[in-house]
Amino acid sequence: MKKLLLLLILISVGCQKNDTPIEISPELMHSNVDKVTEIMIHDIFSPPVASRIFAYPNIAAYEIIAQEDERYLSLAGQVHELSPIPAPDAGKPVNRALAAAIAHIDLSRRLIFSEEQMNTYRDSLYALWSEQNKKEFEASRDYGLEVAEHIAAWMDKDNYKQTRTMPKFTVNTDEPSRWQPTPPAYMAGIEPHWSKIRPFVIDSAEQFKPVPPPPFSMEEGSDFYREVREVYDISKKMEVEGDESEEVEIAKFWDCNPYVSVTRGHLMFATKKITPGAHWIGITKIACRKSNSDFNETVHAYTKTSMAIADAFISCWDEKYRSNLIRPETLINEHIDDNWKPVLQTPPFPEYTSGHSVVSGAASTVLTDIFGENFSFDDDTELAYGLPVRSFTSFRQAADEAAISRMYGGIHYRAAVEVGVKQGRDLGSYIVNTLKTENESQLAQSK
Amino acid sequence: MNRIVILIGLLLLLLNCKKKEGDLFSNPPSDETGITFSNTLTETDDLNILDYLYFYNGGGVAIGDINGDDLPDIYFSGNQVKNKLYLNKGNLTFEDITDKAGVGGNSSWNAGTVMGDVNGDGLLDIYVCAVVGINGFNGYNELFINNGDLTFTESAAQYGLDFDTFSSNAAFLDYDLDGDLDLYLLNHAVHTQESFGKADLRYKRDFQTGDRLLRNDGDRFTDVSEEAGIFGGVNGYGLGIAVSDFNGDGYPDIYVGNDFHEDDYYYLNNRDGTFSEELKTYFTHTTRFSMGNDIADINHDGWPDILSLDMLPEDETVLKSSEGDDDVQIQKLRINQYGYHYQFTRNMLQINRPGSGFEETALMSGIAATDWSWSALFADFNADGEQDVFISNGIPKRPNDLDFINFVSDEQIKKKIDNTKLVDQEALDMMPSGRTHNFIFQGLKNAQFEDRSRDWIARDTLVSGATALGDLDNDGDLDLVVNNVNSEASLYVNQSGPDASYLKIKLKYMGKNPFGIGTKILSYHQGILQSREMYTVRGFQASSEPLVHFGYGSTENIDSLRILWPDRTTQVLKNVTPNQTLVIQQQGGQAFSPPWLKPNKRPLFKKVEGNLGLEFVHREDPYLDFNRQKLIPYQCSDRGPAVAVGDLDGDGKEDVFFGGSKFDPPRIYVQTDGGFEQKKIESIARDSITEDISAVIADLNKDGRNDLYIGTGGADFYNQMVPLLDSYFLKGDSTYIKQALPDSFQNASVVAPADFDGDGDIDLFVGNQMITNDFGKAPDSFILLNNQGVLQRVENEDLENIGMVTGAIWDDYNADGTPDLIVVGEWISPVFFKNEGGKLVRDRVLDMPVSGLWESLIAFDIDQDGDTDYLLGNWGLNTKFKASGKDPMKLYYGDFDNNGNTETILTTVKEGKDYPIEGLKGLADQMVSLRKKFTTYRSFAGKPIKEILERDQLKQAVILEVTELRSGYLENREGKFTFVPFPMELQVAPVMSFLKYDFDGDGTEEVLAGGNYFGVKPYHGRLGAFAGAMIKGKNDVISGDRLGLDFIQKSVRHLNILTVQGQPYLLATFNNDASQVYQFINKKE
Repeated sequence: MKKLLLLLILISVGCQKNDTPIEISPELMHSNVDKVTEIMIHDIFSPPVASRIFAYPNIAAYEIIAQEDERYLSLAGQVHELSPIPAPDAGKPVNRALAAAIAHIDLSRRLIFSEEQMNTYRDSLYALWSEQNKKEFEASRDYGLEVAEHIAAWMDKDNYKQTRTMPKFTVNTDEPSRWQPTPPAYMAGIEPHWSKIRPFVIDSAEQFKPVPPPPFSMEEGSDFYREVREVYDISKKMEVEGDESEEVEIAKFWDCNPYVSVTRGHLMFATKKITPGAHWIGITKIACRKSNSDFNETVHAYTKTSMAIADAFISCWDEKYRSNLIRPETLINEHIDDNWKPVLQTPPFPEYTSGHSVVSGAASTVLTDIFGENFSFDDDTELAYGLPVRSFTSFRQAADEAAISRMYGGIHYRAAVEVGVKQGRDLGSYIVNTLKTENESQLAQSK
Repeated sequence: MNRIVILIGLLLLLLNCKKKEGDLFSNPPSDETGITFSNTLTETDDLNILDYLYFYNGGGVAIGDINGDDLPDIYFSGNQVKNKLYLNKGNLTFEDITDKAGVGGNSSWNAGTVMGDVNGDGLLDIYVCAVVGINGFNGYNELFINNGDLTFTESAAQYGLDFDTFSSNAAFLDYDLDGDLDLYLLNHAVHTQESFGKADLRYKRDFQTGDRLLRNDGDRFTDVSEEAGIFGGVNGYGLGIAVSDFNGDGYPDIYVGNDFHEDDYYYLNNRDGTFSEELKTYFTHTTRFSMGNDIADINHDGWPDILSLDMLPEDETVLKSSEGDDDVQIQKLRINQYGYHYQFTRNMLQINRPGSGFEETALMSGIAATDWSWSALFADFNADGEQDVFISNGIPKRPNDLDFINFVSDEQIKKKIDNTKLVDQEALDMMPSGRTHNFIFQGLKNAQFEDRSRDWIARDTLVSGATALGDLDNDGDLDLVVNNVNSEASLYVNQSGPDASYLKIKLKYMGKNPFGIGTKILSYHQGILQSREMYTVRGFQASSEPLVHFGYGSTENIDSLRILWPDRTTQVLKNVTPNQTLVIQQQGGQAFSPPWLKPNKRPLFKKVEGNLGLEFVHREDPYLDFNRQKLIPYQCSDRGPAVAVGDLDGDGKEDVFFGGSKFDPPRIYVQTDGGFEQKKIESIARDSITEDISAVIADLNKDGRNDLYIGTGGADFYNQMVPLLDSYFLKGDSTYIKQALPDSFQNASVVAPADFDGDGDIDLFVGNQMITNDFGKAPDSFILLNNQGVLQRVENEDLENIGMVTGAIWDDYNADGTPDLIVVGEWISPVFFKNEGGKLVRDRVLDMPVSGLWESLIAFDIDQDGDTDYLLGNWGLNTKFKASGKDPMKLYYGDFDNNGNTETILTTVKEGKDYPIEGLKGLADQMVSLRKKFTTYRSFAGKPIKEILERDQLKQAVILEVTELRSGYLENREGKFTFVPFPMELQVAPVMSFLKYDFDGDGTEEVLAGGNYFGVKPYHGRLGAFAGAMIKGKNDVISGDRLGLDFIQKSVRHLNILTVQGQPYLLATFNNDASQVYQFINKKE
């Protein structure tokens, strides 16, 4: 399907003559985003890192189209430390949409590992554009790359590089509530310093600091114990109902684990999927298509959603390594059932709050703002990973389901899910209310 | 394209092999020998390595004479193919008599096979292990009882041995010494090992996976596992089994090698029908993915040593593209939280130190890395009197290939989910092949082995597994038979010439054990002891011919042979002529009582009960350097505690100061009548945040009272954090009062006092080891000049630039009457400073710089020539570090990723190139840009540092070097010094501390050395095998375990002499362990 669409774009591009303006369809943006997603799966990026990879290329594209399209406002001065991008030379025939797509590709290439795959994709597009209208292509390319350079310089100062050399998470099993590595890979906690990454819109990683989780206690009857027990009981109930139960389907649909490690004797392998952020990027694509968004509208939707997702991860990770809470799998194995395994593989970081819940809360709030309440859609994002289509009546409903899926999956307690989705919605609302991307006078006119 | 290249390569290899025969072994083809057995595996969609984890483990092989014609016959078990019995017709020709004999077998999947005389009628019977109850495998373990007429009768059910479990192998032993052969049945788990589970899973018996001990009750075997204390859990991945009398009490003990996270089992026979599993007591660490193993006395002390195999590759490309050892934190979790022992991915050679445990030396001995290894068999193949070892090797597919795990498998697995199992084969094709050649090592002196795989045997590309020994052509040397996966079995015919003397012994023992299983034989010639035990089940899934073979080189007379029969009678044969086969019948034996060999111990030290009240236990704080500086070669945070001995309370008696670790206050013990008691000195105890590494008790302000200086470090505090500042206390009238010091925010390693300017007061040299978060940069070291109790720093550029200092002494090496300073450290050569009237001037007195990881030094006339030599403690040779003058180990230091923090990359040389020790994951965790440069593990694997870092990164790198890892001494040659290494027994671990004293009361001083170090990542193992040693002269070294010292598995920091009521005592202080006090049992030599 994806490839067919790309082909269609290419053919439509290829049919045009050498000096007519290059038309850029919104499908090109979807194709760009799909390509990054695909390479990210191959390269294996953790969910927070993946959220960063989505955001910067989108912003580069957005800043270019916002220069020309009066409906949109630049993010410069609105997101932290971003200065206005350079303007193109007046005399050059720059096609903004084309430049935006090129900047997107170039920044993506910088962010992923397997550049070869991105280069192949880029080169085939370049060849076609060049054939179609060399002058316009070259002017747009030069400008796109110039903007990419500008965004890259800004990106370079977001503390990502510095966090690479910060201390690893220290495993300390003396403290019973403290998170411990979980089976089967027993990976050490990933990205313990993600809260030190510069956010896009929110003031600081702590701005949406959630209430603390219920106090740790394995005394039967304590709030915390009840939550542990609930995870276990739900899984037992699901076991009885079997793999066809709604809960199992929901858990698996929203698994979004980029690296599930499987071990059989000396044989090890990984099954890889998209991240929670990528799933919501996929929903953004569905919404853009369903609403017949044009190229610039598409770029806008991706940009705003991906910034919300990225800030949601920073906010969530801040809490994760504050509360450092132990996962249900460790506690259930220790106290309730030493043979118990969650339906989903426990991801390698502390429990509270649920990353998927926070991200879903934030992304759904932004998408609702863009596409409206009660926007129903069929979510086929996970088809490529052997999972069915699920239908939702609103982004909000999807977010609620994504959140509760983590309990069904046996990897989160209720508090992490409920507080998490609220944390995400608060953060999403803040972005919606603070960040001015749409020119209100223009909006008023069009509405 | 790639495939074609590989095919051509393989063809070339094959051609090469055909052309080149081994020097010592030839491989006659099957059309000459008649042995066409091939363990052919048929992979199906339902049955392959994805479905059964031991799909590639292969079948078994057993050698023994089944028809009494003195020609050993061969039996092979096949996984899916029928078993085969080959009758030896002489001249290395064999006849397949399987069908006639009725031993083809009926189980779906066979594993190992062994021969043994189950019913004690003098005829070898055959037992075949089967895997039953998974993957649709049916059948049971079969027992073919020898009818004596070349036919056999399957009688497993009758004897109670028809198990339908997951059997790997079985071993015969008479564990209760009742005269018949009992059986240990080795089973393996198949249970998903996704989570470790707690180690105590082993206490819960599981029918299919649990090992069993089966007692021979005459006509039936009884399962006595539970009452005998044999583990039978779901975690026991049993692949290796060996029986030997490890502790010399006359009863057989058992070593079981378990794959994966389950510990190996070391069962000591309690002599009452039960066993005690005591692995953790006797072993510092074991193999992790334990495969086959073998037992032999390789160092001529009469005690059985153990070689257990694992799967560490030597080849850089394979090494760096395969999954390696655990992360350091996961290892801790598995040990502390789940209860397992230390296990590392490499072969382990465990040298028996009777009474003290095993000293593991595989790295030092040169046999640590033999890739995917199955069977180890010791034998004196070249009959020179030293045990050699053959290691079979290979796996059709490497399932632990990192690219497969991370990048290839996903696509395949997805398809599998879509289409059930139909694409398994495709997934399998994506795994690289692991067809590595077999290994053979020549045994040398001092437990050293030399790889002779290139010349003794032909290099093959077979997948070889079970292997058995026998003298197939009765020419007096030992031949090998190997069961291969998907190829015909190999015969290795030994061609050793007539110049090498041998002795072959066959035993005729009484009753139900006619082959004398469990008998020990000690051979003496020219003062050399060789010992053997008669056990046939050795290596992996196999049993060897029941004979004992000795080699004697050019010796023409064997002084004596002592036979120790299982019934505790012994007989001696004197002046035996070699080059014959002796049949020794038990007769006229004299009774003896075990132990049959006494440990060679001459204790000089005896632990004092109650430690004289010095009940100090050092607890290291859990700070992990590798979490912050991910690439440093070893930790620096574990170098404490400080120890100082001196009179602190002014009563004229020696007291002891022990430094604390981070957040743990120092402890002071004052001497009372005949002992010590702890005393809290508030002002000193308040210093609890610091980590104290070195301390000095001395009267610094010359008021007649002792003062205290503490050098602090810990490698955790950084920048200008106050706990990095040293502490200085002057004794006032009532208590100790803290004094000001010049600022020095560094990690101290040593404080050495001396009146170096001759003004009558004591000055201090303060040596610093490192700068926190900036390993590799040289910290300042300096002199604190004493001015009426006020310490002032003296500027001296030479001192500031010494490097990473670990030790220093003041000694007048140039004999001009003033104390000079000698400093050692890591990544530097020892530095001598000449005292020129109170000024220290760097003096070049080494004939050649010798850069090491020096940890300690002491002045001692080791060669007894009247001048002072300097003993130096280094890292040792029992390590993955490698260094020489020609091929130095290097530390690349710099901010390679330009993020404001420095990193270090450690490299060692292989074939002339510098390779980083860390793999791609480790390096890229710190330098993400490498992920962009190397998008697969294969693209990184086999790349030297020059191709990993960019040219400008290399250019900015500061490179430190180590050219010597051996401990040794600087020999004083008329004022110039030359480095001379110590003998091998002092190279088993880092030497951390020396102490000089006349320990044995013979009127001359000796030096006691203590060591071991644990601050390394799991890839480097655990440097804990050093028992300490007393150095009397350059070739006169006595190991600490023989002297009564308990230093194995402990990391020594300080050795001190204490005097209590006029009696001297030895105080040994360890990192993260309880201190020990020894009294001297003075014996004149």
